[in-house]
Amino acid sequence: MKEDNDIRPPSLPLRFLRWFCDPAVLEDVEGDLLELYHRRSEHDVKQARRKLTTDVLLLFRPGIIRKFQLPDNSFFMFRNYLTVALRSARRYRGHTALNLLSLIIGIASCMVILLWIQDEMSVDQFHEKKDRIYKVWRNMHQSSGEILTTQGIPQPVVVSLRNDFPEVEDATLIGWDMETIFRMGDEVDYEIGKYASPEFFRIFSYSFLAGNPGTALSDLSSIVISDRIAEKYFGRDWRDDEKILGKTINVGSNQKDFQVSGVFEHPGSKSSLEFDWIINAQEYIQQNDWVESWYNGGFAICFTLRENATLQPLQDKILQLINENTNYEADERLFVNHFDDNYLHSNFENGRPSGGRIQYVRILFVIAIFILVIACINFMNLATARSSRRTREIGVRKVLGAQKAALRQQFFVESFIMSITAVVAALLVVAAVLPYFNSISEKELSLNLGDPKLWIGLGVVTLISGLLSGFYPAMLLPSFRTITSLKGHSKQTVGGVRMREGLVVFQFILSILLITATLVVNQQMNYILSKNLGLNKDNVIFTRLDDDLRTQMEVYKSTLQTSPAVESVTATSGNPLSYGRSSGSAQWAGKDPDEEVEINVMSVDEDFVNTMGIELLLGRNFDPQLATDTSNYLINQVAADIMAFEDPIDQDLTLWGQTGKIVGVIKDFHMSSMYEPIAPLIIRNDPSSTFVAFIRTKGDIQQALEAIENAHKELSPGYPFSYEFLDQDFAAAYRTEMTLSKIVRIFAFISILICCLGLFGLSSFSAEQRLKEIGVRKVYGASVVRIITLLSWGYTKLILVALVLAIPLSFYLLRQWLNNFEFRIELGASAFISAIVITLLIGAITVGLKFWQAAITNPVQTLREE
Amino acid sequence: MSRRYLGEFEEIVLLTVAVLDGKGYGIAIKDDIEQRLARKVSVGAMRTALKRLEGKGYLKSELGEPTAKRGGKRKRFFQVTHAGREVLEQVMDARKRLWQAIPYTSIDFKFA
Repeated sequence: MKEDNDIRPPSLPLRFLRWFCDPAVLEDVEGDLLELYHRRSEHDVKQARRKLTTDVLLLFRPGIIRKFQLPDNSFFMFRNYLTVALRSARRYRGHTALNLLSLIIGIASCMVILLWIQDEMSVDQFHEKKDRIYKVWRNMHQSSGEILTTQGIPQPVVVSLRNDFPEVEDATLIGWDMETIFRMGDEVDYEIGKYASPEFFRIFSYSFLAGNPGTALSDLSSIVISDRIAEKYFGRDWRDDEKILGKTINVGSNQKDFQVSGVFEHPGSKSSLEFDWIINAQEYIQQNDWVESWYNGGFAICFTLRENATLQPLQDKILQLINENTNYEADERLFVNHFDDNYLHSNFENGRPSGGRIQYVRILFVIAIFILVIACINFMNLATARSSRRTREIGVRKVLGAQKAALRQQFFVESFIMSITAVVAALLVVAAVLPYFNSISEKELSLNLGDPKLWIGLGVVTLISGLLSGFYPAMLLPSFRTITSLKGHSKQTVGGVRMREGLVVFQFILSILLITATLVVNQQMNYILSKNLGLNKDNVIFTRLDDDLRTQMEVYKSTLQTSPAVESVTATSGNPLSYGRSSGSAQWAGKDPDEEVEINVMSVDEDFVNTMGIELLLGRNFDPQLATDTSNYLINQVAADIMAFEDPIDQDLTLWGQTGKIVGVIKDFHMSSMYEPIAPLIIRNDPSSTFVAFIRTKGDIQQALEAIENAHKELSPGYPFSYEFLDQDFAAAYRTEMTLSKIVRIFAFISILICCLGLFGLSSFSAEQRLKEIGVRKVYGASVVRIITLLSWGYTKLILVALVLAIPLSFYLLRQWLNNFEFRIELGASAFISAIVITLLIGAITVGLKFWQAAITNPVQTLREE
Repeated sequence: MSRRYLGEFEEIVLLTVAVLDGKGYGIAIKDDIEQRLARKVSVGAMRTALKRLEGKGYLKSELGEPTAKRGGKRKRFFQVTHAGREVLEQVMDARKRLWQAIPYTSIDFKFA
């Protein structure tokens, strides 16, 4: 349209001028501008246009702008709107309550979820240097093409980081969680903590209550403890006593004395690293020199980059660091990532991050949005349906001279009153339910009223719900013809009804998605917990073998066996259901020496297979009568497949320089989470390196526990006694999933509830509108059932449409989710059929209830009105 | 600062209207200032000044005939009122007195 030869002045700036300019000067000003324009356009049209625009903008200044006046009765009109809004809210009390209730529930649920998400996102964010803290990861490239990712890094890497990388400020080793015995007078207990380098507290910002974080770990015999431990071993009043620093505490099985050099505040759940004590890692390395090898990975490593340094050169240099120092014997590459990413992104697949808790954060975020959308749609639907009752009022207002803009204002005022009320009420509801939600979600969430984000969020919700619900009536109703409005004809436009129906379908799609998700997640969880794991986890108690018990293993076992409630006892190097100690050094005939295979290694005694109820597929179990069996091995099916012997029995297998025979192949059992495939396993017959006793009970568990405790007291009075049940421990490993599925279930229920509230409101509205029709039908002899079916059909249709659309969608989404699990249920029809039945049932009850009420009304009452 | 205060730009506009002697309207005044004083004048600044001067009673205006050049809009011709003339004289007086009060050396220094 705008061509270069168009000499007409641009109309937009002129229109703007006419709008804002004081009418007293407008004609003159416009004339001036046009005259200038014509003069300028003789030289350059484009420039003239541009200059005209700037001139107009420069004219937009006080003195030229006309006075914009609000009508001076605006306050009184506003007061009138309020009065009318409150009256109509009171007149349709049930309706108003329903409308508010669904919005309150929706906003409150949404807020709770967002608080949960905020809490998840805040983990590890308190470290002052968080932007510069990195963690080193090791990718072990297996011959099978698989990449195993581990945080256990060879210790020399930290030395190299400190010496060869000038961009590294501080680097620390971080040990795995260790449970070590603490002794202080009569107080003896196991405490969980870590070994770490002195730099640890310089990198991470754990707050110290006593001592200096920079120097606390410089001494090998120093220990830094949490306030919890300080209170436990040094008494409640340790704070008053300045001299806690330098006091000694006896730690570990070799009973060494350590001096307390600092007390830190236990970080709680805002830190992904949780520990109650830290000892200098050098102390551990001195006693375990295997750590110092390039071939072993023990500690995790974190470091800070200097300010303004870039990461990329370090990334490039560190990649092959292990390979360069091990002559590329096994392909192991290093990479680093941001430390604070690890809490939410803890899973790795083929050497790349593949999610973790972030998946739950995303799922719940989607649910929060769903719920809010469902609630807002309700609000909107109910408000629009209701607004047709107001046509007479609008007619009267129009006759009295109200303009459309004023009527619009009125509807927006009303809808904002509703949404503000709902938001305030939701805030109260959240404050009230947070303690319950905290106990379910194992969090410590709280409403922080000082947080500007909270208020911004609430403001946005108020605005959205207010605009959504006010929009339709505000735009449509004032444009009805005055005469028809006065007559009270509230003919619903087809478009309006269509829109409402569409929104109801949309709501139900969201709800059906949540119902099916809840059902399938539950099924999968039950599957995991009841799956045959390859060993029998029920009725097994396990307890730690302390040093005193380990030296008297045979006595301990035979003492336990005397109890009628104990069936059998075995000792192992760890919990078989969550086992991760592995080695890449196993050799067997036919193995390519360059081939890297990481295999789990477990040490057990000869009672292991029987006690755990593991099935022996080939060969035999370890035989206590055969002295040579202590150097022999059992392997699992996966290991047998990898070794690929025609007959694995009696083949040579060398592990850690000890060559023995494979005597048997056992059936696979799960050693880690269901997200992962079963790993290969070699079982050594080496009772001397076992640390946990597993006791299978029969009959009275209480009796068995007493026997175990008595045996412990008798043989190892110096160590505290504790025990756990294997099945409970296994369930606890899926705690995140259990918690999440519980949370999802609650919110799915809420979303369905809100949906039903909306449906109930709509159906009661349409029942009311059709009262006369029902009356006439009854007069002509229609039965109650016939009337209910007739009325319900409209809504049943909507639910059916929603089902048709939602089922394939949820099938697709849930299959994606199940693909995360290595061992999963088949996505069968049952969940979907249940979802369909549940949805239809709930829908039918909601709609039917109101229609039944309408259908049994005596037609005399409804028909006599006119 | 008396109520008869004139801003620097207002003074120029007022003087220019006087110079144009009844033939001054928006564009003419703008052109005249731009030529005589070699400074850029925006339509907005000038229009505000005119409006303010008229508000203070220093200017009066009347509408002329519409012309095609101006898109059929009429011109508004400005004229200095009696009060306007007084205030201009006052300003000139004040300036004169100030000039006369400057010691000779200072001016000498300035022109040296």
